[in-house]
Amino acid sequence: MSAQSYTAATSVDEALEAMATGARPIAGGTDLVVGARGGKAPLPDALVAIHRVSELRGIREQEGGLVLGALATHADIVASSSACELFTALADASAIVGSHATRTAGTIGGNVMNASPAMETGGPLICFDAVATLRSASGTRRVALTDLFTGPGRTVAEPGELLTELAIPTPKDGTGSCYARLEYRRQMEIAIVGATAVVTLDGGTVRDARIAITALAPTIHRVAEAEQALNGSDASDAAVHAAADAAAGASRPISDVRGSAQYRRAMAAVLTRRAISTAITRARGGRFPIPASPALHGAVNGGAA
Amino acid sequence: MATAEKPFIRQDGKDKVTGLGRYTADLDMTGMLQAKFRYSDHAHARITRIDTSKARALPGVFAVITHEDVPDVRYGPFVQDRRLFAKHKVRYEGELVAAVAALTNEIAQRAVELIEVDYEPLEIVSDVEAALQPGAPLLHEEWASYGASEDVVREGNDCSRSTILKGDPDKGMAEADIVVKERYVADMSHAVPIEPHAVVAQWQGDRVTIWSSTQVPFIARSGVATTLELPEAHVRIVVPHLGGGFGGKCEFHYEAQVAALARVAQRPVRLVFSRREEFLAPDHRREGQVLELETGVRRDGSIVARRGRLILDNGAYSADAPFFPQLAAMMAAGPYKIENVFVDASLAYTNTTPSGSVRAPTAPQACWALEQHMDSVAGQLGMDPVEFRRLNIVKNGDEGPTRQVFEDIGAAETLERAVELIGYGKELPDDEAIGVAVGWWPSFGIASGAYVKINGDGSATIITGAQECGTGAVMALPLLAAEILGMEPESFSLLYQDTDAGPFDSGASGSQTTFNNGRAVMAAANDVREQLLDLAAEQLEANRDDLELKDGAVSVKGSPTKSVTIPELAEAAHGSTLLLGRGADAVPEMPASDAAGCTGRLGMESFLAPTFITHAVRCKVDRETGVVRVLEVAAVHESGRVLNPIGANGQVEGGVVMGIGMATLEGSLLGEDARQLNPHLLDYKLQTASDSPPIHIGWVDSPTKPGAGGPKGSKGIGEPPCVPTPGAIANAIAQVTGARVHQLPMTPARVWEAMQR
Repeated sequence: MSAQSYTAATSVDEALEAMATGARPIAGGTDLVVGARGGKAPLPDALVAIHRVSELRGIREQEGGLVLGALATHADIVASSSACELFTALADASAIVGSHATRTAGTIGGNVMNASPAMETGGPLICFDAVATLRSASGTRRVALTDLFTGPGRTVAEPGELLTELAIPTPKDGTGSCYARLEYRRQMEIAIVGATAVVTLDGGTVRDARIAITALAPTIHRVAEAEQALNGSDASDAAVHAAADAAAGASRPISDVRGSAQYRRAMAAVLTRRAISTAITRARGGRFPIPASPALHGAVNGGAA
Repeated sequence: MATAEKPFIRQDGKDKVTGLGRYTADLDMTGMLQAKFRYSDHAHARITRIDTSKARALPGVFAVITHEDVPDVRYGPFVQDRRLFAKHKVRYEGELVAAVAALTNEIAQRAVELIEVDYEPLEIVSDVEAALQPGAPLLHEEWASYGASEDVVREGNDCSRSTILKGDPDKGMAEADIVVKERYVADMSHAVPIEPHAVVAQWQGDRVTIWSSTQVPFIARSGVATTLELPEAHVRIVVPHLGGGFGGKCEFHYEAQVAALARVAQRPVRLVFSRREEFLAPDHRREGQVLELETGVRRDGSIVARRGRLILDNGAYSADAPFFPQLAAMMAAGPYKIENVFVDASLAYTNTTPSGSVRAPTAPQACWALEQHMDSVAGQLGMDPVEFRRLNIVKNGDEGPTRQVFEDIGAAETLERAVELIGYGKELPDDEAIGVAVGWWPSFGIASGAYVKINGDGSATIITGAQECGTGAVMALPLLAAEILGMEPESFSLLYQDTDAGPFDSGASGSQTTFNNGRAVMAAANDVREQLLDLAAEQLEANRDDLELKDGAVSVKGSPTKSVTIPELAEAAHGSTLLLGRGADAVPEMPASDAAGCTGRLGMESFLAPTFITHAVRCKVDRETGVVRVLEVAAVHESGRVLNPIGANGQVEGGVVMGIGMATLEGSLLGEDARQLNPHLLDYKLQTASDSPPIHIGWVDSPTKPGAGGPKGSKGIGEPPCVPTPGAIANAIAQVTGARVHQLPMTPARVWEAMQR
């Protein structure tokens, strides 16, 4: 798994300089190092460590939204009251990535650029209209998350481009959101089926619904048919069911050791329905614990949470 | 309360929790090389050519070996059907074809890939039922010529067949009011200790020292001696701290191959397995089973007859699995009063990783099937499943499946206490239910030895052959010696897991450490106690019968001022005759049985000091997803006399969690090419700490008669705690969903599918 060269950058410019000559960035190492140890892919020949680049750290509020530095960890997001309040689905997702250790070491930048179709934070970021800033030695551009992912492990980023931050606009008043994942066990899970719902209510009517499915296609994507089924509705059970069925219908699941396509499709409907219902509950001001997934598999009375 | 019943802190605990403990993979030596194995490229193929020349030519490579570089010896505890390296054929994906020792892991890996092997692929047999069909391709064409224990009944791909016959099952079944017949299938699973296999070998002249992550150093030593044709005295096995085993590190694994590499390379060599290798290569995974069970009952709920047909998966080679059919047959009969029994159990060769003892081999799967079957029968009778068990469970004076008469057992008491602890019958939400399962397990009486020496300052050292695999069984040995010698357990040091130091012991297997080595340590302590009393009688000029040994001193009864301390006695002894105790207690006799009608008798026809268990679990089932959460477990065990509550409770907690894993998620899936599809922890999902529910533990105190069990009437406790958990969970699932899951593990998808039918 040996990398041939390793440099530790102290500024974004230093990191970009190294990347211009072919180095790959590394922060928490929860994908690159774990993958190399597991024989998935060898470490790149040249690595540039960015974990000491302070300008990439932190979560800050800016006019109209929140900015997540690329080095914001999953644990940072869960600890941020603005993230939990405004972008609850993102907090739901961040709180269930891997294990306690993964969430403490793993960064949002790494999670996004690893571009796994099973990544937890992808669905919420897409539904919240997050925009990624990609910087390289030759310039800066902004890419909507919807346009970032091109396939499993692939993004539109060019070699030499570093994701520096993610900007997420504040949702309209009356918005509630949820990310729900099928969980075979309570920690160390990977999404077999995941669903995101961001629902904005105006009175009793759904003004805007965003629904995305995770691990059900080569990339995480929104499902227009499901959103249409909900938009303009009264958020009734019938509308929620119709939207969930539409999401399942749009899924293209595979059969593998984690589950059959038939099971995954059936679960796509179940999880999407639960995500939408919880988003509606939250939009109406109701409390639902973060992360939502464990509670959505049944209360844990008597069990360890 | 006796010393041994007080809580104590184990000696290796601090090292392990602080990270100071050194494991085999931590060892480093000057000039040490790294080993890598070349595995088979097919699950079943004839080898037509092996060319190692390119690998040998790679700079940094010091040794490349194949079957040609080791003696042509077949080995195996029951059936000698395998070699250190494949010679003519490969029979599973993890079979060794060659081994390399090189300066670095990367060079060794490159060299392994440079070895050229040509194969002629053969038809793959991966299904146990297909393997036993007439005309199925034979895995071992020459099976009849293999050396084997004469009690093993073999025929072609059936490596070991055992039957249990009691009464007249056909007649009994004909007299039954209701007959229920069901079929269950258990997938293969794994031991998955946290530490993967590691071996370091170093030669000095014609003697080799091997540091190994083995649970059974003496068995590893004899394996090396047999396969490399060395006297046992030339082979020393040392075990640094062991990071768990659960049976996966029983028998002899890779010590000989690494020693052979080190001999050729003339340097120390280290092998450390990856997690993937840990799944594919070791011949100790838990066997898959196909079970057909048929039970006839009278309307009053009494069982008239039981028939069973079991096929167990041996994998490509028979490690210690040939005794499994007889054990599984006993499990399929169960701890119930049944007048007529016939169980026919086979062990089928398949092109998969060999099976071997993993914590209570055969029992969790067979118990899972039987206890679901018991609930099905109760359902047909319209009887409460606990009441049905209450009627049929064995009590003192009852006969087992081979007419062993049970004495001093508390099986029924475990059932009563478990249902009480869980609150059986209480009102629950409609997605929750309580499932109950009963199980049993034998103790294993095996020769074992120990020495106890009193040091010059009055402290003591226990020298034992016993092996610590993490259970704390060896760590608790000072408790037994301390009580006899009137000393504190903290005054003892332990010299263990070194075959050149301790007497023979069969290792951390078969729940046997306390059961057998505990008796040996007590015998050694009693031996040295006699010596202390003799010496004290001399020193105090007192009658030996008037002396008592307690609180670190020998005194004359009734005159406490007339006393001499153990340190004073030790000092005196070091000027004359040393205080050295030896212990090797006789193995308890097997209980009588009538196994005349049984075939394939491999020592399981009666159960020595059997332990009985009831687990009652409260589960929640998500009906829409099939996800099962175990919310609460009541685990009540009758294990004779409990000697060390902390250690015993720890075994139950770990066993229950292992049982939950087997029940819900742990299983290997095989592809068409008989390769494991999930040989990694991402998709072979273990339970995490967060998944562990509250476990209420109860002990039914029922000591065996002296000489019929372990120390003070105790029984083995390491393996039994995982036995009934999967069955109890299965019964809870069926109660919530109204659907039985007939395949283990009962994954969310399988639970969901069962509900769709």
